[in-house]
Amino acid sequence: MITFDNVTKSFGSIKVLDGVSLEVKDGEFVFLTGPTGAGKTTILKMILREILPDSGKVIFDSKNVTEIPVKEIPQLRQQMGIVFQDFKVLLERTVTENVEVALAVSDVAQEEWEKRVKHVLKLVGLSNRAKLFPSQLSGGELQRVSLARALVINPKLILADEPTGNLDWKTAEGIMDLLEKINKEGKTIVMATHHEGIIKHGKHRIIHLEDGKIKQI
Amino acid sequence: MSIHTKTAVDAIKRSPFQAISAIFVLALTFFVATTVSILVFSSNELLSYFETRPQIISFIKNETGSEAIIALQNKLVLDARVKDVKYVPKEQALEIYKKATEDNPLLAELVSPSIFPASLEFSVTDLKLAEEVINEVKNEAIVEQVGFTANIGGEKSLGDVVSRLKAISYYLRVGGIVFVGALAVTSFLVLLIIISMRMTSRKGEIEILSLIGATPAFIRSPILLEGIIYSLIGVISGWTLSFIFWLYVSPSLLSYFGAIPILPKEPLSFFLLFAAILGAEIIIGLAIAITGSLIAVKRSLKKAR
Repeated sequence: MITFDNVTKSFGSIKVLDGVSLEVKDGEFVFLTGPTGAGKTTILKMILREILPDSGKVIFDSKNVTEIPVKEIPQLRQQMGIVFQDFKVLLERTVTENVEVALAVSDVAQEEWEKRVKHVLKLVGLSNRAKLFPSQLSGGELQRVSLARALVINPKLILADEPTGNLDWKTAEGIMDLLEKINKEGKTIVMATHHEGIIKHGKHRIIHLEDGKIKQI
Repeated sequence: MSIHTKTAVDAIKRSPFQAISAIFVLALTFFVATTVSILVFSSNELLSYFETRPQIISFIKNETGSEAIIALQNKLVLDARVKDVKYVPKEQALEIYKKATEDNPLLAELVSPSIFPASLEFSVTDLKLAEEVINEVKNEAIVEQVGFTANIGGEKSLGDVVSRLKAISYYLRVGGIVFVGALAVTSFLVLLIIISMRMTSRKGEIEILSLIGATPAFIRSPILLEGIIYSLIGVISGWTLSFIFWLYVSPSLLSYFGAIPILPKEPLSFFLLFAAILGAEIIIGLAIAITGSLIAVKRSLKKAR
């Protein structure tokens, strides 16, 4: 599903990725690990086409992401669900509305919204929080909203950037259980983390980065 | 309610004072625009009224036979300096008098057609030729007297009246366009500033939407809708205020100007005139809103990149 072929990226004089080559297969759950600044988020941003590599190829679903025209970026992103460390939920919208936004963005028919939103909110355990605003939710609940928004569009791939970074261990475990469940349903998951406990949570492939290079797969 | 409409309405509710400022400026612009449009319309009607008035009236001597009158009429029709020749018999002259004095029927009862002379009314193609033509017509045997319509406001000739009206109409039009233009630019800038502020406050939301795959059109839609809502409310408020103002003053104006149709007297024509202005203003308002919003969105997204 994802292939990085000798990808290099520098920000000024700092080399963030140095000849990175990796592959993620359909239905896989892969951890991207490494210390801060190792290049984990850069890899996720390249898959999202938020940034372009200086050299090398990034292939997603048989398409070279680096060659996609700017106007086709939204369609590329609509095939992915994204979960962020800082949740990135819309503060002025209720839980339901936050999830509905993803459906509106992906142009899903409005008649389907209610059914889909109910389903994902049940999946992430937020059915009883549907009408609440983000300011009325805990950190774990906010991350579940972010996860529900990512899942509601039924994406091929879920990119999670330190989704447990702002959560206590118990809440983080809950989120991990959810991601495991989603992965078992056939979704491909690429998760960036430096949380040792989380990495040991499931027996998944680990891609360890250090100074922009892959040290261990 | 669509997600875009809801976002736009929520944005307005969150910052009501920004919304009020935009609507107030737009309403003021379109109040003035409607008022100036009516003033320009009225000045045009006034000008057209005087321009189409017969400039010269030759009163025919009593007991003149119709053949002689027709002969003079034909002579005038064939004269290249003369246009719009019209014969007004005694009966029609009486009718005109009655109509002019309909407020006081007693005046009409006291007269009979015999006291009104028949006349040949006509205009000249160029007012410079008026004196020459008048002198020639005065020498016609059947002509008792020649009148030259003018002497309004002390002007020496109708030409002066028309020239003065043309000047007033011109200055009204130019002044109106400049004033309304300045207000339209102000509205445009206010809208631009408010939409830019809105974009800044929505920066985080725009970033999230972009990351989850929102197209630029999706991001733009609520902002455009917001501009359109301001614009429509502004146009309708300004137009309604001006409409009420003209409804209030039109009876006095129509009575003051009498036979001069500075405003449509028929209610339907009056409403149609205002409806046409509203239609034009909605188009202009939407153009201001869409252009202003698009520029603000483009600038903000460019800055955000």
